[in-house]
Amino acid sequence: MKKNDKTLKKAPSKKRKGKEPDYAGLTPDQQAFLEREDKIDKINEKLNQPILGITYLCAFLIIGLMAYIVHFMVTEKDQVIANAANSRLDKYAAEVIRGEIVTSDGKTVAENDGEKRYYPYDNLFAHVVGYSEYTKAGIELVGNYYLSESHANIIERFINTLREEKNEGDTVVSTLNYKMQRTAYDALGGADGAVVVMEPDTGKILAMVSKPDFNPNDIDEVWKEANDEENDSSVLLNRATQGLYPPGSTFKVLTTLSFMRQKPLKYKKYHYDCASEEEIFNGVSVHCYGRHVHGEEDLSEALSNSCNQAFADIGVQLNVDKWRDTLESFLFNKSLPYMDASAESKFYLDGKSDKGYIPQTAFGQGDTLITPLHNAMIMSTIANGGLMMKPYFIDSIENYKGTRIKKFSPDSYDTLMTAEEVDTIIPYLRKVVTEGTAADYFAGASYEAAGKTGTAEYANGDHDYSWFVGFNDVDNPEVVVSVLVEESDVNGVKAAAVARSLFDQYDHLKD
Amino acid sequence: MANIIINVSKYIILILMVLYTVSCLAVFREEDERARDGRLNKQIVYVFLMHFLCYLTLALSNPDSMKEIVLFYGVQIFVATIYMYLYHFIYPDSSRLITNNMSFLLLIGYTMLTRLDFDLAKKQFVIATASLVLVSVIPWIMDRYKNMRNYGIAYGILGIAALSSVFVIGVEQYGSRNWIRFFGITIQPSELVKILFVFFIASMLSKGRNLRQVAVTTLFAGVHMAVLVLEKDLGGALIFFVIFIFMIYVGTGKIRYLIVYIAGGFAMAGLAFVLFKDRLFDHVMVRVNVWKDPWADISGDGYQITQSLFAIGSGGYFGSGLTKGSPQVIPVSESDFIFSAISEEFGVLFALALILVCFSCFICFISIAMKVRNRFYKTMAFGFAICYLFQTFLSIGGVTKFIPSTGVTIPLVSYGGSSVLSSLVMFSIMQGISTIENKEARKIEEERQNIEESAVKEKKR
Repeated sequence: MKKNDKTLKKAPSKKRKGKEPDYAGLTPDQQAFLEREDKIDKINEKLNQPILGITYLCAFLIIGLMAYIVHFMVTEKDQVIANAANSRLDKYAAEVIRGEIVTSDGKTVAENDGEKRYYPYDNLFAHVVGYSEYTKAGIELVGNYYLSESHANIIERFINTLREEKNEGDTVVSTLNYKMQRTAYDALGGADGAVVVMEPDTGKILAMVSKPDFNPNDIDEVWKEANDEENDSSVLLNRATQGLYPPGSTFKVLTTLSFMRQKPLKYKKYHYDCASEEEIFNGVSVHCYGRHVHGEEDLSEALSNSCNQAFADIGVQLNVDKWRDTLESFLFNKSLPYMDASAESKFYLDGKSDKGYIPQTAFGQGDTLITPLHNAMIMSTIANGGLMMKPYFIDSIENYKGTRIKKFSPDSYDTLMTAEEVDTIIPYLRKVVTEGTAADYFAGASYEAAGKTGTAEYANGDHDYSWFVGFNDVDNPEVVVSVLVEESDVNGVKAAAVARSLFDQYDHLKD
Repeated sequence: MANIIINVSKYIILILMVLYTVSCLAVFREEDERARDGRLNKQIVYVFLMHFLCYLTLALSNPDSMKEIVLFYGVQIFVATIYMYLYHFIYPDSSRLITNNMSFLLLIGYTMLTRLDFDLAKKQFVIATASLVLVSVIPWIMDRYKNMRNYGIAYGILGIAALSSVFVIGVEQYGSRNWIRFFGITIQPSELVKILFVFFIASMLSKGRNLRQVAVTTLFAGVHMAVLVLEKDLGGALIFFVIFIFMIYVGTGKIRYLIVYIAGGFAMAGLAFVLFKDRLFDHVMVRVNVWKDPWADISGDGYQITQSLFAIGSGGYFGSGLTKGSPQVIPVSESDFIFSAISEEFGVLFALALILVCFSCFICFISIAMKVRNRFYKTMAFGFAICYLFQTFLSIGGVTKFIPSTGVTIPLVSYGGSSVLSSLVMFSIMQGISTIENKEARKIEEERQNIEESAVKEKKR
């Protein structure tokens, strides 16, 4: 394009190149004509200067536009068209035999049985693998684009296209691990709740269970029932990613972090005397779980004992706006960087809120809500030295013959904690498991787990949610679990016990 | 069999498009006139082959209306052939690259419209063909009536009056009240006033370039833009503004005007924003927010642009093949979003080539502007060049999310009577200027040759 402009510039003068004015032997009229013409040409060239400048500017604009389109195609295209709202996916799907979904340890969890989709493990992977009918869900939804694309041999595909036959779709290899999924599923047993197991350093989801569940092979009936207005069924809801629960005492981890940030000198010397069953903070009466009296505690003991009074005491010392800032940096009130649908965790307090809400909120009651996935991400951030990874469940795409087409790499969200903060808080979490509220569940473990328990009352204190979030080893955190059990007071399933069996299974897999 | 033909055509069309684009740009470098003619003749072959393969595909994939499609194809070829040869015969000094590009852009538009909505394609064809006949007299008129530059203020007043007509007889479409209806036809006055506006500025600046003249021009131009802003046609106002500032710069040769007007433009926009934030800028803010993150509301405000991106991305570099994509799910894919539809079915590589073809039209306009020595024609030719390029840029940039969407059409390609008519008028005026310029240049060259010959004779003696 530059060359064009150059030739343009030269064009007017080129014709008469080398002809210096030589007026000898001409009539005055002819002389005047030539002089005038040369003068006009000169003026013209001057008038063309701004035009040339603007032309370059326009060329720049057009090059920018084209570069942008190429950039879009190279970097954003794949992600954009894989969006579930792209109706073209259905059109592709019509030309392709939908691909399979397999776990990282090679179990096929979704395949085709003739024209119908078949899920060999029935309920086991219900929510996370999802279903391909109706609105689609889970990996069937997020991986829809890949499942309905074919990277079979190009000649094979060309021949199929000409014959108007369907091509074999690509296989989605998930990050899920069959054994971890099975353990989580069985450990939760008949209880309602959710389990998320993820690798803190990569964000890979190894297992994700939500109960009550359903059999995706019977999706027609399940769908009908779930959408029946009379019957208030939430069976299709993935509680791991969309269930909002009060965080209970697991929230104390972030309250501790906020306290460390706001009172960098004071927290080290912090102590609280939990001397009576009840104490008043900001006009609100606070008692510990089971009306325990914990006695003299420092910050690590307050956390490992899960002492509500101590955290109410910490809460009233916090600047609420800064506290909220810390929580929002950890993605409260924000959508999670997650490839599938997820609910936003909620933290309602700010500087203008009634002070009476502070004590409750500080130890995890109040109106705060969190999803099990989000809680897993927070614990993963600690286990990963302060860097939050984006959770994901599709590891790679292979063609139907098993040749890898695409690999998804771990992607970090942001560094949310300093190394110092992590180093301070991990021993506290370890103490929960060695001496504190989780000690009974982890007796005799061959690894040095750390974490935080939680019990959140609901239904006017009639029922309990049981929480555990933690990681398997303080020196080498390889796996994080987040467990929530509904009505644990009724079904007797304790979240920490579920976590124990998952860590044991993980340990066992390593051998 | 049909399937094989359709699949193979896809790649041949792309190859032809690349050849066409290369020749569009290479023609500027060709100094030898015969070689240039050769290239221009080849262009016609490329266009006809592409057009043939497109309609072959369309006919094969619509067996029900095959007859009608074949007939439509025949009529198009008839008109295009006559036009490309006859025009050059009547106006030997016209630019053949412009005629070729005009035909190419119209034909690609018909093709896409036939695929999207056959009735619209037929309607567009009728309007465009009637317009072609109508505008073919423009170069003749321009050649005959050279005193057009004398009506500066009149153009301005006429333009403002035409723009204001929407307040009296206007109807609202697509959230802007900038259409008028008479005799059952809806037209968008701003499309045609754009041309008057270029005439106005060129005429004013050819009369004088002192501060007073510039001030009067600015005053009128300001009223144009104010009327457009009141009609909520902010895209239109932006195009007028860009035409205005660059024409003032080129017409006066003073960069300080450009700087002052850009600063002034920002100041006015800022002031208008503060004063009329809620009344006028509601849908601007919506568009800017959609541009920043269309994914936040895929089914609502972000629907158009995300559908457009799905189309472009899903088509990929080589396209889905004509009739094999789903461009009809993009809202207004026949008009504002035709670029996305073309990109989906013909491929991104084809679409990029199309941008270069549009750019070659612009370069052609610019080269006419640079050659012509009369100030009035020069400023005017430049004004149309900017108008054409900027409008194309706004349209394509908008649908690819490069810039916020302004709802502007691609000249000659998009469906729309007012748009096609005004684009054809613009192209014809350029042909008029080209004709005048070439005639003038030939006259001067002859005179020079005479003088040279007599000088040689003189020396010999």
